[in-house]
Amino acid sequence: MKSWISHNLGLKLVALILAIITWFYVHGELLNK
Amino acid sequence: MSFVYWTKIIPPLEILILWFVFYRILVFFEGTRSFQVLKGITVLIVAFLVSQLAGLDTLNWLLQKFFAISIIALLIIFQQELRTGLARLGQQHLFNIALEESEIMAIVDEIASAVYKMQKNKVGCLIAMEREVKLKTYIESGIPIDGKVTSEILQCIFMPHSPLHDGGVITRAERVVAASCLFPLSENPSFSKIIGTRHRAALGLTEQTDAIVIMVSEETGEISVAADGRFIPIVNRERLINILKNLLVKQGKKGK
Repeated sequence: MKSWISHNLGLKLVALILAIITWFYVHGELLNK
Repeated sequence: MSFVYWTKIIPPLEILILWFVFYRILVFFEGTRSFQVLKGITVLIVAFLVSQLAGLDTLNWLLQKFFAISIIALLIIFQQELRTGLARLGQQHLFNIALEESEIMAIVDEIASAVYKMQKNKVGCLIAMEREVKLKTYIESGIPIDGKVTSEILQCIFMPHSPLHDGGVITRAERVVAASCLFPLSENPSFSKIIGTRHRAALGLTEQTDAIVIMVSEETGEISVAADGRFIPIVNRERLINILKNLLVKQGKKGK
């Protein structure tokens, strides 16, 4: 489990940041409608 | 389930799904030339979001228009990756299903034996082992063989004056399917200037398919294995056997 988390950690973090940004952006757009 | 429960659980679930999709996309593109394009796109997306948050209307308008027209450009830029990705989505776990671990080891042993004999004689070789993605297109570019994988047959094929020595050999399970096959050349900028054509071909094939490629350099006698668009350094015969075994046996188990 630990090795799965540490493997490609950089990419996982970038993906997480992108996912959070996207969710909040789309959620905001949907609320504006 | 209550409405409150769903409103609490859905946002993290959606973020988790988005994270998984983004992560798979990043892993898919990592190490390829398109990864740099992807980095550029990420910068533009961040700039777009910042311009929106900061109320930079002109910049935001420009970026919005740019994104609208860049869809077609992206389809062209990522044409190769989209094709490979779709091919992998539809792939079937066929390879190795019929092969036991001992049979895989026998094939690996024959290949390792051939590779080390060729290294000793400074004979170059390029052997691609088909896994799940079928190499039909590349097989058709070569000469059909359909013989059992043995060290002797591989050495014969790559003998310097053999009519089949140019190009690569493709094996499927325990059969040598074809020789003299043409492989696509890698355009990965981090390798293209420092490696020769044989290495570029090995890398190119592993970028576009899930094949494993074993090669011996004619100039240096150096042995390399390529898989998933990367080179794996080979220091001795045991390491070669271990790497091939790991790549093939794992694949076989996944397929079952």
